[in-house]
Amino acid sequence: MQTKISGHLEIEIQGESLILLPQRAIYWQREKTLLIADAHLGKAATFRAHNIAVPTGTTEKDLQVLSELIVKSGAEHLIFLGDLVHNKLGLTDRICSLILAWREHHSDIKITLVRGNHDRKIPSIAELMRLDIVEEPLVMKPFALKHHPEKDTAGYVLCGHTHPAVRLHGAGQKSLRLPCYVFEDHIGTLPAFGSFTGCADLEPTGSERIYVLAGDTVVEVH
Amino acid sequence: MNEPMGNRRGKRPNMFKKREELQRRKDELSRKPGNTRKKRTTTVALESISKQTSGGRELVEDWFSRQGWEPFQFQKETWDAYLKGESGLIHSSTGTGKTFAIWPAPLIEWLEESLSSGATEVTTPPLTVLWLTPLRALAGDTEKSLREMLDGLSLNWSLETRTGDTSASIKARQRKELPSALITTPESLSLLLSYADNQKMFANLKLVVVDEWHELMGTKRGTMTELALARLRVLNPNLRTWGMSATLGNTDEAMHTLCGINASTTRRITSDIDKEISFVSLLPESVENFPWAGHLGLPMVEQVAQTIEKAKTSLVFTNTRSQCEMWYQALLTVRPEWAGEIALHHGSLDRETRKFVEDAVRDSKLRCVVCTSSLDLGVDFAPVEQVLQLGSAKGIARLLQRAGRSGHKPGALSTVVCVPTHSFEIVEFAAARKALAAEKIESRRPLPKPLDVLSQHLVTLAVGGGFRLENVIAEIRSAYSYKNLSDIEFDWVVNFITKGGRALGAYPEYCKVQDYDGYYFVESDSVRQRHRMSIGTITSDDSMNVVFMSGERIGSLEESFIARLRPGDRFVFAGRCLELVRTKDMKAFVRLAPAKGGTVPRWMGGRMPLSSELSEAVREELGIAAQGSYESEEMRLVEPLLRLQETWSQIPDEKSVLVEHMQSREGYHLFIYPFEGRLVHEGLAALLAYRMSRLTPATFSLSINDYGFEMVSNIDIPIEMLSEHHMFNPENLADDILRSMNASEMARRRFREIARVAGLVFSGYPGKSKTSRQVQVSSGLLFDVFSEYDPENLLLHQAQREVLEQQLEESRLRKAMKRLSKSRLISVELQRPSPMALPLLVESWRGKVSTETIAERVSRMQLALTKKPPKATRTPIAKSKITQKTMLKKAAEESGSKVS
Repeated sequence: MQTKISGHLEIEIQGESLILLPQRAIYWQREKTLLIADAHLGKAATFRAHNIAVPTGTTEKDLQVLSELIVKSGAEHLIFLGDLVHNKLGLTDRICSLILAWREHHSDIKITLVRGNHDRKIPSIAELMRLDIVEEPLVMKPFALKHHPEKDTAGYVLCGHTHPAVRLHGAGQKSLRLPCYVFEDHIGTLPAFGSFTGCADLEPTGSERIYVLAGDTVVEVH
Repeated sequence: MNEPMGNRRGKRPNMFKKREELQRRKDELSRKPGNTRKKRTTTVALESISKQTSGGRELVEDWFSRQGWEPFQFQKETWDAYLKGESGLIHSSTGTGKTFAIWPAPLIEWLEESLSSGATEVTTPPLTVLWLTPLRALAGDTEKSLREMLDGLSLNWSLETRTGDTSASIKARQRKELPSALITTPESLSLLLSYADNQKMFANLKLVVVDEWHELMGTKRGTMTELALARLRVLNPNLRTWGMSATLGNTDEAMHTLCGINASTTRRITSDIDKEISFVSLLPESVENFPWAGHLGLPMVEQVAQTIEKAKTSLVFTNTRSQCEMWYQALLTVRPEWAGEIALHHGSLDRETRKFVEDAVRDSKLRCVVCTSSLDLGVDFAPVEQVLQLGSAKGIARLLQRAGRSGHKPGALSTVVCVPTHSFEIVEFAAARKALAAEKIESRRPLPKPLDVLSQHLVTLAVGGGFRLENVIAEIRSAYSYKNLSDIEFDWVVNFITKGGRALGAYPEYCKVQDYDGYYFVESDSVRQRHRMSIGTITSDDSMNVVFMSGERIGSLEESFIARLRPGDRFVFAGRCLELVRTKDMKAFVRLAPAKGGTVPRWMGGRMPLSSELSEAVREELGIAAQGSYESEEMRLVEPLLRLQETWSQIPDEKSVLVEHMQSREGYHLFIYPFEGRLVHEGLAALLAYRMSRLTPATFSLSINDYGFEMVSNIDIPIEMLSEHHMFNPENLADDILRSMNASEMARRRFREIARVAGLVFSGYPGKSKTSRQVQVSSGLLFDVFSEYDPENLLLHQAQREVLEQQLEESRLRKAMKRLSKSRLISVELQRPSPMALPLLVESWRGKVSTETIAERVSRMQLALTKKPPKATRTPIAKSKITQKTMLKKAAEESGSKVS
């Protein structure tokens, strides 16, 4: 089923097969679970509410991509690794109705949110998206699902929060900055899912495995 | 955090309750500004004046003679023109006297009026003269010389300064009552316009003086000034504008840009003070062992030190901040005893430090200051006896400006000593000397209607009491830069600040400026506050403060440089070797490092391209050499090298383009020498590569300098392709260039400034970081989001236009291509690299033209695993070793095995 999504890359962590998707999500085969970090829904709306002119369309697109991922992967469980919604201000009537309609469309899927820093002040999200909110870590052996990248005794950590990206250097002075997945000894970090999210440069040490999102393809760079 | 939303929702209904208040504001707007004039209470007797029988003009002339001066002809001409109600521009190449050409004029007018009124007592006038200066640092000097005259005439005018450095309490007092004459910056003027009572403030304004207009004009700050002036002219239809400027190639245009297109009579006044400039080249003994490439010039350090010894005070101009830091170190190395007598001055240093250095120069306490363009402007340095220019100034106007920093008094001789950093620059000096004599000076063009500045200005007006749409459009178009603003563009900007960017429809949740029956105003306090904070951030860049552990500030460095350092890394800054301790809250904490060494930060920008005037002069100079004539001292020195060029290849003259080709281990090299400056070459090289690869699939690696460019490909490109396929044809230039270069990435970077000016990115309130963090976003991300979801956004188009016009100099490129397509192509097959080809072979800039997808590019790129060392300018030692001898030897060895 995962072959329906092109450009993915399959890796093995703790004996589990994880599929890194070019849409910035991980599909965990055995659990039929889709992992998404830092969606920041309604972020552009927050900006507009602050009277900063940012066009609409980002949240619509993110929800659409989510739909495609669910359909093509056949996932039964969707887990957000924190920062699902950017800010309470961004949950305008319009954004809420978009989310409601989306949920209606995927009424069967189970959704869990591992609470992140941006989600603290938004209790209404549980009702809106009909999801369960859990505090980190959410333990699903062999993994400890978290928002913050901190080691955990309960298992290998899969998390978000940092919005990682790396800079690649080519010949001359050309360089390219791309969002990436990073797997260290005890922690694996997902790129931010939201299309209106920035990223922060990672300082590679050499011991981690890095997979960048190069357009429609996930490429291992180290 | 949720306040703004709450406010907005709560305020909606209130908007209608506010109708009365709005009506009042609207009435105020339609009323004649003069009616609101405030009565001043301070009354000072004008005894000294009323006792005398003479008029204002005689009093001023008296003052001149008491100083032992005689007013210059151009000064009197300016007074007359002003009194007749004219506006204009006073320009001169160097020298002083411009301040006293305009400052007495409004004083004479006021004296005449006061005396003819017959009153024995006159009150201190309300704001009458606004004096705009581009640099805060100049404000102090200006105030001093303006006050000198006020005191000399015992006038009861008040005179104050208002800049970003002025304390909050003084600013608050000034908000209640402005002085008779106010010295301020364009940003502070814009801020004043953002207060609702700005009509009252400017009701009595008679004159706006803009100092150093040539510096402002071609920048967004200049455009902002134009718009502010347009507003002031609406408030005061009789307002006069006078600018002071260096002479430019387009001085008339500079005047019209300043005075606006509605000015009925404008006058251009040339300062008639004859300024003599002594132009000296400090030449190496021979070019045999002199570098043929590079830009630091350190082999000249001993000669430079000797030249500095000859004068009491010298300014040493460098072209980049890193070169500045290196030369400071180098001079101390050869003259350790100068510690304390020489200083460093560039834009990244702390303001206090810079001021300390400036004061020390003024008080003749320093032997020499190594500086960058940071000392190009203004501050009056009487003691400076000579100016040294390290490397080519790359333009005649800049050279003149810098020369004028010495002998800074009327009649004194200005001395500029040009020091080459590589052999070919000596040709540039010879060319500059001739261009200088022929007064071929570069033009500076005002920016064509930047919409980011317009949108900022319209919000300023909306914050400052609101505006009516039908009135404001004519006002905007009266500004020279916006004279061709189309209805579509204007409507777009109005829509952008009221409803969001999209042409049709609106962004939900967004309403920065409200439209109330064609009357536009800002209701939200937070928008008002945020807008005021972002006015004047035009020039700010993402910089980090560099501070000692004790908290003492040293200066600021670009964040990108600091980000590459790790704690413990050393770097040279502000003339000291520093060690990074840690970075926190946008501050880099450092301590002095015990040993010497470390990298020198490489700042962005810095290297200017050879100007078109100087390029032309260089081509002419070579044309003469091609005929075998070597007249000047400079040309005689480089004669052996040019003779070598002639033997191995040819010297291009004005009517021909030299194309050299050669084969080496790297591939097939093409060297082309249009002599048009690096930006044009960058565009031209990419364009040719793109056009050639359309005919024959090939990959090109490119190398650029100010004189020409090199294209290396894996296949042999027949030279005929250049002429037969009209490679230099300027048709489809814009399209081809956008396709051939990574133009979208360039536009993305360009968008940073546009987003800041248009109020899309906001650096935050001091001390309120938490709130603003929710709305922080990088301009790059915004650019991507706009490109995808609102591609018709005109700010995106502006970014692209700015890339074409400013980064790639499209119009200059077009002109160059026209010239090249008419020129004769001389093709020479090289047996070994010619003297002109060598610098290109070692040039570090290497671009590539490719049409690969990101994934393909990634597969060939490398992850910088171990931390990349901070980018530093190449070490001077390695570079200086590349002399003509060694390079020729090496190149001959390399190519010899392959070619011959």
